[in-house]
Amino acid sequence: MWRSQRSRTIVIGVAFAAFVVCCVLPIAYLVATTLGAAGGPSAAILLDSRQRGLLSNTALLGVGAAVVATAIGAPLGVALARVPLRRKALLRLIAAAPVLLPPYVVALAWIYLGVSEWTYSIPAAVLILGLLLYPISMLATEAAMRRVEGRLEEAALIVAPPRRVLRRITLPLVAPSIVAAALIIFVLAISEFGVPGLLRVRVYTTEVFTAFAALYDFSRAVVLAVPLLVVCAVVAVVAAVLLGERLVVTRRSSSGSPVVFGGWRRPAEVAMVGVIATAVVLPVLVLGREALAGRSLPAAVAGSAAAIVNSLSLAAMGATLVVALALWLGLAQARARRAYRRAAQVVLVLLFAVPSTIVGIGLIGVWNRPGFFGALYGTDAMFLLAYLARFVPVAALILAATAQTVSVSQEEAAAAGGAGWLRTIGGIVLPQMHVGIAAAWVVAFVLAFGELGVSILVAPPGEATLPIRVYTMIANAPSSQVAALALFQSLVIFTPLAAFAAAASLRKVP
Amino acid sequence: MKAAPVALTNVSKRFSTHVALDDVSLAVTAGRAVVILGPSGCGKTTLLRIIAGLEVPETGQVTLDGRTVSAAGRALVPPHERRVGFVFQDLALWPHLTVLQSLDFVLGSTETAPGERGRRAQEALALVRIEQFSGRYPHELSGGEQQRAALARAIVGEPRVLLLDEPFSSLDEELRADLRSELARLQRTLDLTTVYVTHDRDDAAALADSVVEMRAGRIVAIHHDRSRTQDRA
Repeated sequence: MWRSQRSRTIVIGVAFAAFVVCCVLPIAYLVATTLGAAGGPSAAILLDSRQRGLLSNTALLGVGAAVVATAIGAPLGVALARVPLRRKALLRLIAAAPVLLPPYVVALAWIYLGVSEWTYSIPAAVLILGLLLYPISMLATEAAMRRVEGRLEEAALIVAPPRRVLRRITLPLVAPSIVAAALIIFVLAISEFGVPGLLRVRVYTTEVFTAFAALYDFSRAVVLAVPLLVVCAVVAVVAAVLLGERLVVTRRSSSGSPVVFGGWRRPAEVAMVGVIATAVVLPVLVLGREALAGRSLPAAVAGSAAAIVNSLSLAAMGATLVVALALWLGLAQARARRAYRRAAQVVLVLLFAVPSTIVGIGLIGVWNRPGFFGALYGTDAMFLLAYLARFVPVAALILAATAQTVSVSQEEAAAAGGAGWLRTIGGIVLPQMHVGIAAAWVVAFVLAFGELGVSILVAPPGEATLPIRVYTMIANAPSSQVAALALFQSLVIFTPLAAFAAAASLRKVP
Repeated sequence: MKAAPVALTNVSKRFSTHVALDDVSLAVTAGRAVVILGPSGCGKTTLLRIIAGLEVPETGQVTLDGRTVSAAGRALVPPHERRVGFVFQDLALWPHLTVLQSLDFVLGSTETAPGERGRRAQEALALVRIEQFSGRYPHELSGGEQQRAALARAIVGEPRVLLLDEPFSSLDEELRADLRSELARLQRTLDLTTVYVTHDRDDAAALADSVVEMRAGRIVAIHHDRSRTQDRA
């Protein structure tokens, strides 16, 4: 038993140390640097009257995107949970796809589609981010609806018609999840760099990037990052607290029959298909039209072969490292006491919410120095560190949710039979988590493949991933070539999703 | 002759291959307390859910006050139009509503005038003796108070029949005995037609005018409790 505890302590300890170095240290460095430079020039930058415009633009972008995404996503989530839709699993998968598309790729499609200056405005950025982020609200609402005890709805159905039950009983019960999802969308929207960057909307993320990459003013970039970091931290913590165990526990209600709206099938299906057509099909078609106009798809792909190969291999390596680290963090979180579990969840949500440009500056601050840390700076390893910093938190949350579904008593039974901790995890727990592990890998791969905000800051000279190449080509290459690469990038992202969906459906995963 | 408040005729129900109810016929007389007694899985809860409209029988028909509410595998009247009160085994109190708000939700679904709702809710709370807890949420109530709140919610809409699905099964013996006598008093006071499902013979002895024994989806015996009948007279 002692040996078993020792191996557990060592493995989790090493994972925790790696997590601190990769994910926490860059942010801690940034916070420490800012506190060290408090007052003087920092205060002058933050009190600058131009900051008010930046603040209002950022707030408008975040609130607008949260409202649009919730207005689209929450009703779709209700439909997925309570309307007997045909081909529901397929509809859910396709409707969830936008959240995994690189935002700047979708923004590019809308720019090609746009015919007026309106495209370069905050409302356009709000609309695009709303269409990208609604799946978060949709999936959170559906999950929350499924967790409502059917008996509570039955008790209401005895005295009230289904619509009133939905309005007065079900929706108030799922409201905390919908609000928490809206807060997470708000944070992701104000953290987004690619969409406002392309649409020339001045917000904190673009200003931080400009201060660092164009003005070479590291301290200004750090100071500008502070308001963004504070808002993201506060909102992410509120969202994580609101969600509570709902973020990790994925059990479904087992008692009673929930309210089902059979009569809403047709309008719900029309709405679902309409949203999918607007958010997924239209951008892909626009990119396809633009790419084919120049007949440059093969040439563009061939011309960017190095960046494509680089991106694919780095994303695959990054996803593997992310899952290898997040697995132990997820297991530790799932088996921790409730208070620690909640605290870990808040920290993970908070880290995931940190804007990419801030993570990038933190990484540069930590790794761009002489000695051991500096040895990695200027190499491709910085991309991998970027992926670890950005995506370990979300992978750990997915894997914690998966680990929670494996009962502790199974581990106890193995331990009682004499198996050590590592043997128990390898032989009993991991085989039952394989779908969750595969899902976490696919999510990490897709996010890493489309990652732009950190990569563009930490990329070594002469090295580029596909997103960096696309983003830098926008200004000085024919739109057909840019569209061709963006389209190729979308197809690469859809391929593992489709493969995962096919594998999951063969295994009849609910 | 006045129609029975609740009548089931040749009702059957299956869940996959499990036969929950097999050709069950039963009529409940107005103002009487019928206890359905039987072991777990004998179909007694399904019987209650079919009366309430939460399940649809595959064959047979259900009538309430002579009106057919389910027949030939179809629900003809939805649950909220059947005017039944239901106390669930796990009570199913709405966690986001106070006791008073729960009662108001029920009354808001009826044709009760808004001004009347408060008075009716207070009357129901007084009947189950929890007026002082009207502003509390379910998690702020003790086990016994939660039972009373569930009872208040079930009777406030003045149902034609009160259905109870083992509501006291999770309580200790002392509290259970208290609530049994409370329910018996309530039933007599309101002259409520009641169908009570239990596997506990003490519940049956304390509450029943008639005891219907079930086994494997069938009614195997019906007993009339003369003493309680005489008490009522």
